[in-house]
Amino acid sequence: MNLIRSLWIALIVSMFCAIATPEASAFCGFYVAKADAQLYNQASQVAIARSGSQTVLTMANDYQGEVRDFAMVVPVPVVLQPDQVQVAEPSIMARLDAFSAPRLVEYFDPDPCAPPDFEIWDRSSAAAPLAEAPVQKSSSRALGVTVESQFSVGEYEIVVLSARESHGLATWLRQNGYRMPAGADRLLQPYIRQNLKFFVAKVNLEEYESSGFQALRPLQIQYESPRFMLPIRLGMLNATAAQDLIVYILSPEGQAEVTNYRTVKIPSDAELPLFVQDEFSGFYKAMFGKAYEREGRNVAFLEYAWDMAGCDPCSAEPLTPAELRQAGVFWLPNPNRAPDWSRPTSVFLTRLHIRYSRDRFPEDLSFQQTGNRSFFQGRYVLRHPFTETTETARCPAGRQYQRELPRRFEQQAQTLAQLTGWQLSDIRRRLPSIQITPISLWQRLWTAVWGLG
Amino acid sequence: MLIADARFSQIFCLLLFLGLGIFTRDWSLQPVNIGVTILTCLTVQTGWMLACRREVSALVSSLPSALITSLGLSLLLRAESWLPMALAGSIAISSKFLFRVNHKHLFNPSNFGIVIALTLTSAWVSPGQWGEESSYALLFLGLGGLVTKLAGRWDTTGLFLGSYAGLEAARNLWLGWSWDVWLHRLSSGSLLVFAFFMITDPRSIPDSRTGRMIWALGIAGLTFWLRNFCFISTAAFWALFLLAPLGSLIDRLWPAARFTWQPPIKADAKSDAKPDAKSESEANVTLQYSQHSPGIL
Repeated sequence: MNLIRSLWIALIVSMFCAIATPEASAFCGFYVAKADAQLYNQASQVAIARSGSQTVLTMANDYQGEVRDFAMVVPVPVVLQPDQVQVAEPSIMARLDAFSAPRLVEYFDPDPCAPPDFEIWDRSSAAAPLAEAPVQKSSSRALGVTVESQFSVGEYEIVVLSARESHGLATWLRQNGYRMPAGADRLLQPYIRQNLKFFVAKVNLEEYESSGFQALRPLQIQYESPRFMLPIRLGMLNATAAQDLIVYILSPEGQAEVTNYRTVKIPSDAELPLFVQDEFSGFYKAMFGKAYEREGRNVAFLEYAWDMAGCDPCSAEPLTPAELRQAGVFWLPNPNRAPDWSRPTSVFLTRLHIRYSRDRFPEDLSFQQTGNRSFFQGRYVLRHPFTETTETARCPAGRQYQRELPRRFEQQAQTLAQLTGWQLSDIRRRLPSIQITPISLWQRLWTAVWGLG
Repeated sequence: MLIADARFSQIFCLLLFLGLGIFTRDWSLQPVNIGVTILTCLTVQTGWMLACRREVSALVSSLPSALITSLGLSLLLRAESWLPMALAGSIAISSKFLFRVNHKHLFNPSNFGIVIALTLTSAWVSPGQWGEESSYALLFLGLGGLVTKLAGRWDTTGLFLGSYAGLEAARNLWLGWSWDVWLHRLSSGSLLVFAFFMITDPRSIPDSRTGRMIWALGIAGLTFWLRNFCFISTAAFWALFLLAPLGSLIDRLWPAARFTWQPPIKADAKSDAKPDAKSESEANVTLQYSQHSPGIL
């Protein structure tokens, strides 16, 4: 990890996050999410469960530096008390990721010579779905900094600060062992003047070592505020390249969208050559990059939008009610209590993928929930041809099917080239070769007269 | 004379942006919804005109306004099905006939339809779906219209945008943001459509220039407050909705000649060419006034 990366990667969430850290590293926000998201060099993951103005924000990171160097500063709209902060199950982000990740599905062509069966396509699509997830305290008053609350949660030590001016806050952080990157003072000011508080977390090494966890667990905070935004400016302070942010928004209403940038659906439902199965991550990364450039590098991509009650096809088992509660969904009825009909019972998941850089994303992200309950998923199709050559050649429909395969492969190659920018000639070289059964003269004549091959 | 009707340039611009959205942007624009909205607005307009026993010529003359209302709704409002769009269209047109003060609309019809749909249905407005490039194109065309005076009360647009931009600039300066943040906040397609095509509706905004200045400043101020202190992404629509009833009060305090879409036949050439430039002292000059011509959006 380079210095920049370990220095501050801030980001955040409810309002954003800044980072500071002891020694030379600090980490704020998320960067490299998890295995599935290793697809991206710098990816943060945030889950926001929101109903009305109640918000539960889960910040996960895959911090890979020295744990003692970890620290993050997250601007929050209210002073958080101990009962508003907890550590979440480490697996919850991985579950959300696996469930909503763009997926590759496979279909197998039926025997073209088999008797007509009107249900055959339904059967084939239901039979073979295979999903693959791509997927110092005395000076505080003089500095204008107030320690609003201070407590420990799990392996984290939390301090919630309010400040009157940015220089005082930066000085306080430095005096308390956090190394602030150049330019941080200036960037903290807008948040201070918006009356935001600063949620500062670092690791209690003793607690961490005794916890037995191999990685830092996600931090989860809850608060009530009309603000529905995700500050990203602090996280860009030291970034030299675009960063990836994946936001899971859980809502009782419908799709969520970004209100101050365009929200665009990622290209989906494309039929691709079979070799993509072995390099789906590479395909998706290339396709995302192409779409990102095509849209002007300043949009949010919608990768998934679905009611959590189901999925089709499922890339992972839907989250259980208990898992949803771990992800912050607070409005689901408690099974141990009498039914409360005033509470919403549905959960709609929206997965947004935002690749942001300082020049194209000057403003923090604002979101809204909408009543749009239409489903969407990033879904890519592999269609395996029926390869039993001798069987295929035994009937006219089979021979016709055989002759159409090269055209289908070419179409798939062109689709792949268009989506990824890969060289068409390279793709063609990797297409399967089909042995076409020779057709006799009388068969050609028959075809010309009756239209059958 | 029909070609001189400013509403046709409005229709042209709105169709242009609707086309832009359909063909170049992922806006979730559904042709069925657009069709239903247009049909609903035209039908409801016809129904109300017949119910009010207006002449056929008056009915025909009013249809472009209903079309503009429907195009505005199609551009700004999103819904999963056609029902909320039909409801918004019906309510928008009906508001022109139900809420009138001194033969003038109390609410901007499109704005009224949008706010009611947002409140009662699952419809939503997507302020971010234009993108900066589209916003710049819109700004360019809008300013073009401003310069060429193709439509009604463009001074209102100028003051609204100017004062809102000024308030946002002051906030930006106070917070210490870089100026690209300010530019980005202003490049909202919804805000510009609102400014160029909704707040310019001469049939629902004050008649006098002084009144319009106060009106525009009020809406800009309320929009600024709702967006930055109440965090409402559809702030402008709510601001216009909340301040609309004050329009009749402003007209009473600062009376002026009523605007007409079609060039006056008997008025002098000067007033024909520059209906907006009339001074307060000309408030009692009688221009041809078609009671049937509704508002813009």
